[in-house]
Amino acid sequence: MTFVNISLLGGTALIALPIVLHLIMRQKPKRLEFPALRFVSRQHDANRRRLLLRHILLLLLRAGAIALLAFALARPSVHFSGALGSQESPVAAALVFDTAPRMEYRRENQSRLEAAQELGLWLLAQLPSESEIAVLDTRPGPGTFQVDRGAARQRIERLQSVANSQPLTAALDEALRLVGEHELPNKEVYVFSDLSRAAWPADAAGGLQGRLADAARVGIYVIDVGVQQPANYALGEVRLSGQVLSSRSPLRVETELSCRGSAGERTVELHLVDNEGNPQKRSEQSHALQPGESQQVDFQVGPLGIGTHQGFVRIVGQDGLACDDRRFFTVEVQPAWQVLVAAPEPAERYALFLTQALAPAEHRKRGEARFDCHVVELGELSERPLDGYAAVCLLDPTPLEPAVWKKLGDLAAAGRGVAVFLGRNARPIESFNAPEAQELLPGRLVRQARAPDGDVWLSPRDYQHPILTEFRRLSGSIPWRAHPVFRYWELGEPADGVGTVVPYTDRRPALLERPLEGGRVLTMTTPVSDRPQGEPWNLLPAGRAWPFGILMHGMMRYLVGGGQQQLNYAAGQTAVLQLDPQQTRTTYQLFTPGETSFPLAADLTQHVLVVTSTDRVGNYRVRAGGTAGVDRGFSVNLAPEQTELDRVDEDQLAKVFGPLPHRVARTRQEIERGFSEGRVGRELFAALILLAAVALAGEHLVANRFYRE
Amino acid sequence: MSTAERYLKPEVINQIKRLDLRAQFIIKGFLHGLHASPFHGFSVEFSEHRKYTPGDDPKDIDWLVYAKTDKYYVKKFEAETNITGYLVMDLSRSMGYTYRQELTKFDYAICLAAALCYLMIYQQDPVGLLTFDQKIRSSLAPRARRSQLGQVLSLLANLKPEGETDIAHSLTQVAAMLRHASLVMIFSDLLAEPEPVIEALYRLRHGGHDVILFHVLDEAEVQFPFEGMVELEDPEDHRRLALDAKGFRRDYLKEIEAFRNTYRRECSQARVDYVPLDTSMQFDKALTEYLVSRTARR
Repeated sequence: MTFVNISLLGGTALIALPIVLHLIMRQKPKRLEFPALRFVSRQHDANRRRLLLRHILLLLLRAGAIALLAFALARPSVHFSGALGSQESPVAAALVFDTAPRMEYRRENQSRLEAAQELGLWLLAQLPSESEIAVLDTRPGPGTFQVDRGAARQRIERLQSVANSQPLTAALDEALRLVGEHELPNKEVYVFSDLSRAAWPADAAGGLQGRLADAARVGIYVIDVGVQQPANYALGEVRLSGQVLSSRSPLRVETELSCRGSAGERTVELHLVDNEGNPQKRSEQSHALQPGESQQVDFQVGPLGIGTHQGFVRIVGQDGLACDDRRFFTVEVQPAWQVLVAAPEPAERYALFLTQALAPAEHRKRGEARFDCHVVELGELSERPLDGYAAVCLLDPTPLEPAVWKKLGDLAAAGRGVAVFLGRNARPIESFNAPEAQELLPGRLVRQARAPDGDVWLSPRDYQHPILTEFRRLSGSIPWRAHPVFRYWELGEPADGVGTVVPYTDRRPALLERPLEGGRVLTMTTPVSDRPQGEPWNLLPAGRAWPFGILMHGMMRYLVGGGQQQLNYAAGQTAVLQLDPQQTRTTYQLFTPGETSFPLAADLTQHVLVVTSTDRVGNYRVRAGGTAGVDRGFSVNLAPEQTELDRVDEDQLAKVFGPLPHRVARTRQEIERGFSEGRVGRELFAALILLAAVALAGEHLVANRFYRE
Repeated sequence: MSTAERYLKPEVINQIKRLDLRAQFIIKGFLHGLHASPFHGFSVEFSEHRKYTPGDDPKDIDWLVYAKTDKYYVKKFEAETNITGYLVMDLSRSMGYTYRQELTKFDYAICLAAALCYLMIYQQDPVGLLTFDQKIRSSLAPRARRSQLGQVLSLLANLKPEGETDIAHSLTQVAAMLRHASLVMIFSDLLAEPEPVIEALYRLRHGGHDVILFHVLDEAEVQFPFEGMVELEDPEDHRRLALDAKGFRRDYLKEIEAFRNTYRRECSQARVDYVPLDTSMQFDKALTEYLVSRTARR
């Protein structure tokens, strides 16, 4: 609080006047004879108390009126925050603009960002001369003060929304740091925001409030350019049946269509980009939605040709926010994976459950099976070339020759997969504990564990491993209990890098993974070839064995690398494309959604292509070697929170700011009033004079009432 | 002007004269059976003749005068009362109080007593005087002679209100003193506990006396006209109280009104005429009220 005429505060000493009058210089009573004193004395005590109260009330009112008058004449002003200064003192100001894609929301033919720019340019003109001005947006990176006002103006005019926008609180934090370090005593930060919830995450409160010590003297103004009741249709995140598909499996695309504002019907289309780069509509659906409702949108496209396929899902028609009407995707289609299944004699019988799970007879007949399974006897492994196989499965193997173990090890090292399903034939265990076998196996075999009561079954802790991806949607309702495991191999100390993918209910490992250079080895400690009759080691393939089927699919896809490649990214993420290890090209051409292209160097040591500039939304293409060469691609979409239009309410905003003083303004008048109060403070004169008048009126009323004839 | 005459100011006399005439009409009314005289009377005495005017009762025409003068004259009569009046004066120090320094309660009471004395002597009623403070201090036996007026006025003029008072005890003494039914007119400010006083009034009534209680208060005691801080002192027991007069007025007026109402109620029950007065009131008003109340009672 500051005072224009602080010396007039001395006037409060005049409070002593009524106190002296009331207490010290009390009127000497006039002595009078009065015979009827008896009537006076009866009421005297009660009357004296009442009089005392009246006098105290009067004294307080008079003293209060004097104090308020003195206080008002000293012209105090309360500062919203920051240092004292006149309206024209130069300030260190930071203008922070939210440039998230949701700021593209249009209303009255103006996007939120354009509205913010317009207000920002006006505000720029209002700032006192000699002010230092920084213009920041929500693009990641540090901010600086502009050279002069002209540069600041140009910077504001050139602001564009960015796909990989960081939360506004991060930019505000940077702005506070910037102005906090500046030498000018008057510091102001103006934040232009649509006040959407995503811009003000509650978890940012701690970091922001950590700047409290620096920010205490900074005037923070939040300028709301948002729309109170936005109307919009939006597509959610795209979910694909797989990013790498077999040529025989269809592509399934799922997303959500949500509605906000007003009810209506919208058509959603699925487009695939053809070889010439032109989008071709492949499917469409119409949905009628109520405000606040969201509906699932599913598309299925028949098996695609081998190669990279890109496309997008879009809402037909226009709405307030265009950038969430289209979602892009990329899938790679590969030939059906060749899987070699080796089993003891009779091999076909041993391999029946696995081959049916990976390539059901129905699918094989229709030519839709994702895997081509070749069944051989274990003895053939030593002579059979393994180059053409993406994965090799050993079902209930008998002791193998060291050369076979080595051969399988080389296969895994070459980036392929090996699966070992240990069973009753793993005797003597010494041959499995031999060094060559232990190169692949996750640990030494110790003994067979028995659980004849059927109280042990597979019990995945969570479904985060890529093998278990398909289970995620079903977690909690998977009948593992219906498929008990009666016997399994107990392993010793696991080798380096070995991880348990799925444990049993007794915490011992059921499925283990061992990465081996480019490839990986999966070991299951119980077989998948035992029939339910007799004394099976487990009932995994028995009955309604769909969990078994999904698990085998997941394992095999993981082994062949189909679940690893990521082809769809959020804006700002670094895209990494796995290259064929055989590929030796070093230079590739990257085609961005903006139809620009630039060369890209491959990392041949890691066999990857790394693209860091993914700040544009759309389909990216990487090519090399012409039509016969490499043609890959990936898609970049907006993160879902970048287009959420939910507004933050005052309580949530207050939580974010905590004790940081801030002011929310919507119009130019509110902004002007805000910085007028922020710089000079809010004059309390009028309020104090009003209070003094009330006190005087009260005194007058009370005194009149007390001393009325 | 002599001391005695001071109490017979011309305007007072004039007021009383008019009342006297009014009393004569009342006596006349009594004679005609229309109205009772305000004073007890067993006979009437001829006073004077007056020309007959239409409306006079033809029964009153003096036919002897008509025979002598051939004109109609009516006879006028004056009540001849045989009731003995006692003026009872309170000599307490509080009676000597005045706020405006013009007329103390005591002066006012004496004026009133003198006027009544004059009225009664004029009507040839015997009037006596009793004064009291804590007990009866002096007494003058009732006489109906004209000289009695001078004696009463002379005694009244020499009285001084001083010292404390015991009204109840003194009135009890008065009741014991009076042997025949009399008219007892008490002049007092009654600044004492009311219960014993009322008891004494009952005793007087029980003795067959008619009692008129002139309750004389100072104008200040009735209106409490003080301003600001005052320290009030009781002249009799010298107790003091400091207070803010303005803030106190309402409560005081309530108290004094309640006090008067107590006497008004009790006197009404005891068939005592209670005449509340203060020193700002006109004598004629007081006397008229008195006479009206007497008339109503009869």
